[in-house]
Amino acid sequence: MELLIQIIFVLISTLILGAAVMVVRTRNVIHSALWLIASFFGIGALYLLLEAEFLAIAQVLIYVGAISVLILFAIMLTHNVTSGEGHKFYQRWWLALLVSLMLFAVILVPTLVGQDWTITARPSEESAIAGAVEMGTAFMREYLLPFEIAAVLLLVALTGAIVIAYEERAQRRRILTLAQELALRKQQQQNHAEE
Amino acid sequence: MADVINHVLNTMLGLNAPEWLIIFISNSIAVTLIFAIAPLQMLFMTYFERRAIARMQDRLGPNRVGPKGIFQPVADGVKMFTKEDIVPTAADKMVHLLAPCVVAAPVMFMFAVIPWGPGMYAVDLDTGLLFFFAISSVSAVGLMMAGWASYNKFALLGAMRAVAQMVSYEVPALISIAVIVMLTNSMSIVSIIEAQSGLFISQVDVAGIPDLGLGWFIFSPVGLLGFICFFIAALAEGERTPFDIPEADSEIVAGYMTEYSGMKFALFFLAQYLLNFLLCAITVITFFGGWQGPGISWLWSMAVSEANPAGNPIFNVLAGILGTFYFLAKTYFFFFVMIWIRGAFPRLRVDQLMGFGWKFVIPLTIVNIFSASLWIGWIRWELNPDLAFLSALGEPYSFARWGFAFVATLVMNVAAYTLMTRINRSPDETIDELVADQVFGAVTLR
Amino acid sequence: MNIPIERGKVVTVARGQSTSVAGFSLSKGLGVVFRHWRRAWFEKQHQNVPATASESAPNAGNDKSKPTAFVTLEDMSKSYGTFTVEYPEQRIKLPEAYRNMPVLLYDDETGHELCTSCFQCQRICPPQVIHMTQAKDPASGKPVPSVAEFIIEYDACMSCGFCAEVCPFDAIKMDHEFELSTHDHPSLTVYKRDLNRPVSYYESIAPGFWAEARERAYKKLATNMKRRPGAIGIAPHLTEKITAAQAQAAQAAAAQAPAAKAPAKKAAAPRAADTAAAPTDKEAKLAAIRARNAAQKGGSAPAAGTAADAPLPTDKEAKLAAIRARNAAKKGGSTPAAETSAEESPPTDDKAARLAAIRARNAAKKGDATPSEESDQPAAETPPANDKAARLAAIRARNAAQKATEAAEQAADSATSTPEAPASSSEEGKPLDEKAARLAEIRARNAARKKGDQE
Repeated sequence: MELLIQIIFVLISTLILGAAVMVVRTRNVIHSALWLIASFFGIGALYLLLEAEFLAIAQVLIYVGAISVLILFAIMLTHNVTSGEGHKFYQRWWLALLVSLMLFAVILVPTLVGQDWTITARPSEESAIAGAVEMGTAFMREYLLPFEIAAVLLLVALTGAIVIAYEERAQRRRILTLAQELALRKQQQQNHAEE
Repeated sequence: MADVINHVLNTMLGLNAPEWLIIFISNSIAVTLIFAIAPLQMLFMTYFERRAIARMQDRLGPNRVGPKGIFQPVADGVKMFTKEDIVPTAADKMVHLLAPCVVAAPVMFMFAVIPWGPGMYAVDLDTGLLFFFAISSVSAVGLMMAGWASYNKFALLGAMRAVAQMVSYEVPALISIAVIVMLTNSMSIVSIIEAQSGLFISQVDVAGIPDLGLGWFIFSPVGLLGFICFFIAALAEGERTPFDIPEADSEIVAGYMTEYSGMKFALFFLAQYLLNFLLCAITVITFFGGWQGPGISWLWSMAVSEANPAGNPIFNVLAGILGTFYFLAKTYFFFFVMIWIRGAFPRLRVDQLMGFGWKFVIPLTIVNIFSASLWIGWIRWELNPDLAFLSALGEPYSFARWGFAFVATLVMNVAAYTLMTRINRSPDETIDELVADQVFGAVTLR
Repeated sequence: MNIPIERGKVVTVARGQSTSVAGFSLSKGLGVVFRHWRRAWFEKQHQNVPATASESAPNAGNDKSKPTAFVTLEDMSKSYGTFTVEYPEQRIKLPEAYRNMPVLLYDDETGHELCTSCFQCQRICPPQVIHMTQAKDPASGKPVPSVAEFIIEYDACMSCGFCAEVCPFDAIKMDHEFELSTHDHPSLTVYKRDLNRPVSYYESIAPGFWAEARERAYKKLATNMKRRPGAIGIAPHLTEKITAAQAQAAQAAAAQAPAAKAPAKKAAAPRAADTAAAPTDKEAKLAAIRARNAAQKGGSAPAAGTAADAPLPTDKEAKLAAIRARNAAKKGGSTPAAETSAEESPPTDDKAARLAAIRARNAAKKGDATPSEESDQPAAETPPANDKAARLAAIRARNAAQKATEAAEQAADSATSTPEAPASSSEEGKPLDEKAARLAEIRARNAARKKGDQE
């Protein structure tokens, strides 16, 4: 059973890493986004392997179902997505490399150093590590403030998006039906005649 | 399933099979059954829909292949298989090929958590309901892929519409389902069904109700409003008629399916009908008690289960048959309602769809969340340690509490509904009339 | 609700009383649909007459069941029940003016086709799918108000009905038969044989229309029938009718014989031989001999006799003799009967062809009171080079000769004139080439025509 789980783990992590590499390797932006979705899906599978059902499902629901669709939408609404010429090797690539390496080091090194590598036996079947009930209680009791702040932040972002979109839209002329258009024109003529 | 296999192999036959084998066998059987039954469901549903809609339109429908045309879907299937598979030259070949699979696979996944009868489920996830909707949202990606890879403006438009619609109607669907999660205190589909035992009042709400399997949530005001909102959202999710904008054939040919033919098209078709079936099924499960019905609990009490390992497998079969009958009867009734709505109403415009979703359905579902909170707070105050002092009033008045909660939530929901309809009434009508009267002196007919 | 539509006016339709409860009208709509669904199980909008072995409609295609009739309602919103006509088992009665493909009509009693091949339909046909040839009197070569072959390409026909509308004889009508699907195109090119329908059939599908047309159609037909000699104009698949008509014609001819000139009798003979079920060698010979004898007895044209003096040992020669006899007969008088034998027995070899040509020329000459040297000599001096050309030439020459004869007879002065030009010159000229032969023959024909015109 352990061996089986290890094999599955290797398969899933290969999928995640391979997909992640393909995200940066492929020239087509849409294909990048699709590979990213595959990567997200792999992460969801990894959560499931860790018996974090709720987390896995939330991963699929939010990342695969919502965020990636948003990414796809955004890509498709921008111009020249499929030309494949957007990928240029920039001159300051070393700077980017440096930054990413540093970030990697900051996140990964402490984890690697601080990790106690002795694997203990699985905890007994008390409860799922990230069950829905535990997460719900945590959000609504211990971490209520951060939860609410995040909610307000999202609301602000939503409102901001609406405001931006609405301003642009207000400038547009209202689309009238033929009858209304005719009525408008007649009224304008009338006004003109009165003057 | 595992219980029964275990019982048959180890207890009855004495084979002493190991646990993993039993799990393997039971899961294999379950998966095989699902994969065998799902396409058959789809075949039957296409026939069912065509016959029903035909009668609504004073026609007969397919009636030539086999008795009463029952083999029409088989003929259609043969046609699909033998059709040429056409891929546009400019299409993104790989994505074009993968898209139908990405759309169809999640739908098959969703069957995993559907219980067909008592004890008849593939898996009982703790978060089964969430799993259902999470997986269903994956197919949005497939739709995007199909629309984009086809290199066809109609396909892309259809995909955009489909995804926009799915994403925006997932919100009311999930909120209205959340009400049921609140009422049952669980996201497991199996326990949601089990909570709907009783007699018009759930046994969860009032203990000691005789169990006739009729304690469906639809009989409470919260459940009723939740059902209405959820069913509307389900129509939109399943791209059924008032919301079939993504494949509006009079506007954009066939939406994201435009450039598909043969078996790829059939896969889309399959996915769509199975999704419709599943949406009806989840409606039945959450609001209409799933396989619950008179007689189930009596049969199930004598069957092999975790609570009763010494039961008789015959009763498993009997309870399963009866439960499946109830479940399918209800599900097909709701599929009939979908067809009925298709026969009655015209298609909405895109802006009407969005307006209806965000301005009407979502506020109602949020009000319904409040109602549900009120309901739970009133009926189960003893569960909250802060309100424990009230439990002194508790037990003798459980019916009275239920009645009060019923009336209060009913008033709240009806008021919310009326308010929302008032707010959402379109003023355009009067403007048009005025314009016509004043300017053209037109004949206004009433 | 009746909405008056006027040009230049915008009509707005009020959406009706708005209800206090939103969703009420939605449920009302659902109710309407449900009622339709429920009642469609039990009710039908049309009276369904079960399929029975109906009283036999002779040639009609729709004898599978009695047609069903719709109950038309003033207000369709109040109608319930299925309106489907389950097509192969049930059929609705097609309206009279329904039109699918054109067909030709013939009279039931006489079997005469109404068509006179006036070519009106051929001219008006927008997709140009109608083709026809006019029938000719084989004896005189004159056009007869009847059609020899009539072809409609159904696969390109667009069912516009122009042909039926334009037809002055009500001979072409639009059929109601619409089950015409086939596996191939050629079978959709329909010939006269398959186009013919009896008048009674058309009357059964469109009684009103036929009642209107009936009188004028029959009047015209009666006139045309007088101008149709023999079996011409009788629908070809009515074999009994044709034989009956031929027998009648033969009797008439026989009755005429004593009174009129001899050729009339002889004219009936070859036809009788032809219409016999299996004409044998012997009979053919007999017929030929008899014909020749008759011609000789007539005494009008002895010239042909020189060629016919030889014994008749073979089939071929018998035929030749027959031709000769006929030629002779033509010379003698105007008998329109002998139409068949010449067509059925074209000369089969060189020699025969030449002979036929010579004789034809002779006939022409005989017909002419004063044969012009220019026209006749080349024809005679350039016998055909090969088989086919020879045959063609012979046939054409004969036709020309016939025309000439007719013309001459009309003038009524050449019947007894003695022909002079002997046939010997034709043997001298050796075949030059095909072209020359044709030229010669054309010239001969032209000359003959000129002669006819002059007279």
